[in-house]
This record gives sequence, C-alpha cells and structure tokens, in this order.
Amino acid sequence: MAGGDVSGPQHQPAGRGAVADYLAEVAAELTGTAAARVAITDELRDGLLETLERHLARGRPHPEATAAAIAEFGDPRTVAAAFAPELAAVQARRIALGLMVTGPLVGLTWIAAVAANALPPWRHQLTGPWLALPLVGLALVVAGPALGLTVAATGRLSRRLGRRATFPPTAAAIAALAAVVADLTLLTIITGQALTSPGSSTWAPVLLAVGASLTRVTLAGRAIRRCLATRAALT
Amino acid sequence: MRAEVLKGHLDALLLATLAAGPRHGYAIKEALRVGSDGRFDLPTGTVYPALHRLERAGLIRGTWSTVNGRRRRSYELTPSGRRTLGDERSSWQEFSAAVSALLGGAPWPAAT
Repeated sequence: MAGGDVSGPQHQPAGRGAVADYLAEVAAELTGTAAARVAITDELRDGLLETLERHLARGRPHPEATAAAIAEFGDPRTVAAAFAPELAAVQARRIALGLMVTGPLVGLTWIAAVAANALPPWRHQLTGPWLALPLVGLALVVAGPALGLTVAATGRLSRRLGRRATFPPTAAAIAALAAVVADLTLLTIITGQALTSPGSSTWAPVLLAVGASLTRVTLAGRAIRRCLATRAALT
Repeated sequence: MRAEVLKGHLDALLLATLAAGPRHGYAIKEALRVGSDGRFDLPTGTVYPALHRLERAGLIRGTWSTVNGRRRRSYELTPSGRRTLGDERSSWQEFSAAVSALLGGAPWPAAT
C-alpha cells in the first residue's frame, strides 16, 4: 500500500514510522477502489510531510515535530470518515456510468437474438413467455431516472442538488437492481422459449445475449452489495 | 475557531485561496490559517475531502506532480470555479453588510 512508504532524506526512522503508521490507519478506514485509496494516501503523505517539515524548520526536535504534525492533521478515523461521502460518490458514479455503457450493448445483443430468430416481439406479438417482456420495460423506466440522478448527484450538479451522502449509492443500487430484474426476466423468457419451441433456432446470437446478461447480472449483483455496504457505512 | 463555524462558507474560502494561482492541499490549509490570523486553523486532514468535493463539482482541477521525490496534488480554479467564487463574494458582501447593519449597534427603527 502506498500509505506505508514515506520518502524524504530529512525524515528520521522514528518520524517515518509514525507518519507511515498514521497513513496506514487512515488507509485501513477508507472505502472505495484501491486506486482511489492510494491516491488519497499519497496526497495525505505529501501534506503530512509538509507539515512535519514546517515544524522541523521551527527548530522542534524530530519526535515532537512528528507528533505535532500528526495532531495537526487530525484523528485518522475522522479524516477517513470525511472522505467517505466522496468515495461513495465516486463508487456510485462508476457503477452508474458502467450501467449506462453496458445497457445499450446488452440490449443490442438481445435485439440481435430476437431478430435472428424472428421471435414473437420481432413479429409485434407478445405470446407465451414473452408476455413477461413489459417487466423489462418497467425495469428500464426505473433504471433510467436512477442512473440520471446518480450521475447528476455525483458530478457538476452535486453542489446544486445538495443531496445526502447516502443518495448516490442508493440510486446506483436501485439502477443496478433494475438491470438485474431486466436481465433475469430476459433469461427466464429465453429459457421458456427454448423449452416451448426447441429446434431450429439460430443459437449464436442467443448465446451471446445470454452470456451478456449473465455477466451483467453478476457484476450488477456485486455493485448492489457494494452500494448497500457503503450506504450502511454512511448512516 | 471551531470548524463548525465555517460550515456553509468553507467552499467559498477554499476557492478564494486559489484565486491567485494553484496550491497544494497543505498550502491551501496554511493560506486559510495565515489569512485569518490563525482563526481558521482546520484539521489538515479534513481539508482534503472538501477539495475532492469541489473537484467533483467541477469548480477546481487537480493535477499530480513530483516534488522532493513524492507525489503532490495541486489544485487550481476552473472557469466555473472562478464564476462561483465571484457569486459567493457578492452574496457574502450583501449578507455581511445586512448583518453588520443589524448588529453594529446603530439605533433600530422605532417599533410601530
């Protein structure tokens, strides 16, 4: 972990250890991606060493200067907690953008599968297992606004919207859940189709669509768990 | 002075410290402390999350460099941040003038 390394020739081993310990304590409390945590500890390390150098320049002995710098930075748990809403927003935004990008791709694979096999929706008919298709539409109606709000609340409009810190992970979790519902519905429908009308299907596009949905169900499921854990940590 | 007192004004103050040019996190914290004659001496660690929030809102831009062998993130105002700072200044001047008029000890208008 980047938080364990303290550079600078003027820092004695004792001070280096104390600074590294402090950063490790902060890092242990941080949530979010590894890259985000490393970036935060790198930034904090620079600030902490700047603070330490200022105290040393005033002629304070090294141990005293180190203790003063750490005290000036604040309690590690408090510092990590102050980052929590930011890390939650970054996480929710990544999930929302991921869903926004993969959504149309997964949709296209299903359209291709339906078109290649001239399945009922392609003939403007909803029969048999395809009667459940409106559930996919309902999921999209839920996912669209949830994604839009997540992106808005975690980007340039965040100050104007002024939502609570728990809002982005909640909205992202709702969008991911809607994606799971849509995928599971499509997977159930195609399973029903295969069971009721086996035979002359063009399987390649169907398998591609099924693979795309299974992948998204797995990833969206993980995203929901992460969002709910983050939400719980913020409350 | 406690950090809570700054609630609602911290964003504007952080933007103001960057008006003259880019600074890194510790320099921003020091600018707040020195510029307020030591009154706004915030726990350094809590200044960084606020900077990340402003960056996410598109008001400041952070860039990495290497100084003395360690990574440093410096921040500068974006055009949007400069506009927001101007708005915050106007709004504060209006607010402080009104509060000063009321708390300045001048006689109040006669009650009707």
